[in-house]
Parts: sequence; C-alpha cells; structure tokens
Amino acid sequence: MIAQGILGFMRPLCSGLNVSKTRFVFLCGMTEQNCMPAKQVSRRGFSSTCNLQGAPRESSSADQVTVHFINRDGERLTTTAKEGESLLEVVVNQNLAIDGFGACEGTLACSTCHLIFEKDTFQKLDAISDEEMDMLDLAYGLTETSRLGCQVRIKKSMDGLTVQVPMEVSDIRRQLEVGKQSKQ
Amino acid sequence: MALLLLRHRARVSARHACARCGTAGSLPEEKKESLRNGPGLRDFVCGELADRGAWAGYAGALKRQKGERLQLPPWLKTKIPMGKNYNKLKNTLRSLNLHTVCEEARCPNIGECWGGGEHATATATIMLMGDTCTRGCRFCSVKTARNPPPLDPEEPYNTAKAIAEWGLDYVVLTSVDRDDMPDGGAEHFAKTVSHLKERNSKILVECLTPDFRGDLKAVEKVALSGLDVYAHNVETVPELQRKVRDPRANFEQSLCVLKHAKKVQPGVISKTSIMLGLGETDEQVYTTMKLLREADVDCLTLGQYMQPTKRHLKVEEYVTPEKFKYWEKVGNELGFHYTASGPLVRSSYKAGEFFLKNLVEKRKTKVI
Repeated sequence: MIAQGILGFMRPLCSGLNVSKTRFVFLCGMTEQNCMPAKQVSRRGFSSTCNLQGAPRESSSADQVTVHFINRDGERLTTTAKEGESLLEVVVNQNLAIDGFGACEGTLACSTCHLIFEKDTFQKLDAISDEEMDMLDLAYGLTETSRLGCQVRIKKSMDGLTVQVPMEVSDIRRQLEVGKQSKQ
Repeated sequence: MALLLLRHRARVSARHACARCGTAGSLPEEKKESLRNGPGLRDFVCGELADRGAWAGYAGALKRQKGERLQLPPWLKTKIPMGKNYNKLKNTLRSLNLHTVCEEARCPNIGECWGGGEHATATATIMLMGDTCTRGCRFCSVKTARNPPPLDPEEPYNTAKAIAEWGLDYVVLTSVDRDDMPDGGAEHFAKTVSHLKERNSKILVECLTPDFRGDLKAVEKVALSGLDVYAHNVETVPELQRKVRDPRANFEQSLCVLKHAKKVQPGVISKTSIMLGLGETDEQVYTTMKLLREADVDCLTLGQYMQPTKRHLKVEEYVTPEKFKYWEKVGNELGFHYTASGPLVRSSYKAGEFFLKNLVEKRKTKVI
C-alpha cells in the first residue's frame, strides 16, 4: 500500500527526471513484489546511464543525413545532420569553419546564413515566408536558388545535399585586386 | 528499513550495470599520463597579465592564415571581474531592470570600468531600449530578434535615477537598433537624456546612437535633447562595411548621421569608433580617418576586434600596441580633438577621462 502511494508520487517526479519506467519498477519491486508481474521487472538498475562522450549514439545511422557545404574559398566541408535540424544548426553544432554565420541566431534578423542551393533541391524546399524574403533581399550575391540556412530544415530526402556558401563583397574585391596585380 | 534495502540493492546493481557497459569511465593510458603531467589548476588561475616586458617578445602569430584561429596575445588578456563595486553595480542594474552593453556585448574591460580605481568612480555604459537588437551584425554578440519586447516606459526615469545614485560625472548612454519602432527609439532616447539633465545639470552625457536607418529627424531629436557628445560608430572601413555590419547599415549613412548631429546642434562634440583586425589595410584605415575628419568628427577611438562567439567573424589580425600608438599619432596629426587608440579601447572606455582631460587642457590654451 505504501508502495502504491509512493508510485503515485514518484511517477510525475520520475517522468520529469526522464527515468525510464522499467528502472522505476525495479525500485518499487523491492518493497512489494506483487505490485507488478515478475517478468516485467527489469534487472537493469537505475544508474545505467553510461553514455561516454563521443561514443556512438543510440540513434541509428539511418537517421543521419550527409550534407556538403562548399565554403567561400572552394573547400568542401562534409558533415552529418539529423532530420529536423536547420542548416544553421548544423553549421554551428558541427563547428564548421564558415566565418560569421548565423549572427542573429536564426531569428530572421540578418542574412548571414545565406546559402545557394542546386536548382532541383531548391524547388523541393518548403515555401519561403515573407519575413525570410525581407532578409534574403538584403543578402549580397543573391541568386534565384538562394535561401536562408536557418529556415531550411533537413529532411531524409536531402541526403547528399550540397550547398554553396556565397562569396562576400570583400572576397570579390580581393580577387579583382589580385587579378589586376598579376596582369601588371 | 525498506529504503535502506533499496539503496543497497541499487548500489550493487549500479556497479553491475556499469561493468556491463564495458568502456565507461576508462581513459587510454596516454591520456591519463598527459593529464598527470599537464597543467594544474594553479597554472590557469594565477597568470602573468600585466607584464608589459613580455609583449614585445611575443612570438605568436598575429595575422590569420586560412583555416586557423589566432591565439589571444598577452596584451589582450584581462582579469576576471569581481569586487565590491562590480557587485554593487550589477545589483543596482538588475533591481532597476536596466541593461548594459558591457555585459551584453561581452566587453573585456568590464572588470576595470565597473570596478573603478581607488579614486575613480565606476562607469558603465547603459544600453537603452532593452537587450535585444533588430539587426544581426557579424561582430556583435548582443541578442537579436525580429520583434524584440516593447520598450519599458519607465526606463528613462529609472536610468536617470540609477545614474544619479552612482554620482557619476560622465555617463555614456547607448542603445540597440530598434528598426521595429517608427522613430527607431529616438524619442525614448531623448527623454532619457532630458530626465538625466533635469536631475543633474552638471553631468556630462554622451550618447552612442544607432543610425535610425538614416532618419535625420530622429537624429535631430536626440541631438537636441541636451547631450554633450554625440557618438555613432562607423565600425570599420568602407570596403568592409558589407561584410562586417548588417546590410541595413553603411558608411555613407553613418557619416550623414554624424554630420547632421553637428548641423542641428553646432556646439555638440561628435565621436566615432573603428575596430581594427577585420582584414583592413593601412591605406584603408588612413583614408577612413581622413574622411571622418573631413566630416568634422571631433573624437575617434580605435580598438581591436575580438571574436565574441563562434558564430561571429574570426579575428583576421591582432594589431600590436605599438601600431595602435602609431594610429593615435596619425589621428592627432589629422586634427581630431582626441584619438583614443589601444587594443582594449572601446567607444566608451574611459570616455569621461579622455573627454574631460582634453577639454580642460584645451580650455587652458583657449583653443576651443
């Protein structure tokens, strides 16, 4: 009876703490064996969180999508992403070496996550919102297949996606200057 | 009794569970070795910070090569902020729901300015109109949102009250960009200044304003509010404006703001600031300084750009303290009232000291 009272109390607590039901049952199994049928009592114990940093995650590789970013200098950066992540989140979480990307943290208040897509991929993307269009209009080097990375979420169908990080004014200028110097 | 049993069983099963997990908690031998022989806590906590003799001999890279990130040179290392003054200021700010750019933009001088010296009073640059900006510039870590929370109507009054409590002689007010407001927040700004001047007419007020998207009426409103110094930062050379700042900002617009402030309030002192280390050349910096002087900007500050978070631009170059001194000389030669130039100099760093010192000196020689 006491156990049942504890059960009622512990359930919301445990759900908040993300303790799995099986571990919790083991806890209570001690005080009243006939609370739950024996075969449901797990022997795992409640401290089986041995998730080592960098160890492979439980999610299978089927959830991961490969994305290629072609950086401003032409370097190809390949990484994996989870479904539902925005391209900005991918760049930030994977620490990709793209300079000054995502200054407004994805709040549609800048255009620093401007990316250029391939034509067929671009057409399959979700419709662009007015707010995104406002910010995209301000981006340098705008093309017909440009979108803001913070608004594009990864889908399983995007496996092997390749996006181009647009060049900046300063890069173009530098190229022109170098070209001029080499001609002289 | 049952609980004791529980705990014992749990401990046993925990050990059992961990053993089953195998590799949990065991590092490879080399890692363990390097941890044993590596730096201890003491090495991180006590550091040689102000040893200026060591600066000249600093052999680390100062210009960024492709793919790398530069290490922080010794002249940019600062102490961890703490102390009575620092805490007092922090508490006053929180209790009145005020924000400072010092905290929001992660200024390295926060410990020095807020702590004050033995005789100097603490200074802080209050950031009006909230802590969230409507633009995302690639050098600034202030929070950004498309529609920030509405303005606090009590802010002008509270700011004036706080500053009066601190008993400052010189105060700098700045703000975020509020493109979501029809006047860009100019009215709110101007009200704060007038409240301040009402409470204490002797206090010197410097306003570091946004560009109000080039709205000169808004500039006028702030310029005529009673301030002493009108500041607006051009941030970088014209060639890098598009790369560094939000696309809604540009050099010409900022220059117009500064010129207009002078036009409507001829007695006001105008001031601007440039960050170095973003990839600009010496010629570009010199040309920019000349352009600013031609626009009759009175004061100039030059500081080192430091990358605030990984989402922001990397530092292209760490400019040496000697080079900063050189720019100071150039600025004085070009005719600025004062040129504050140094790696840790920011727009409002010791703004009061520089201003007052300069003013007093000039008044002595009756130049102004």
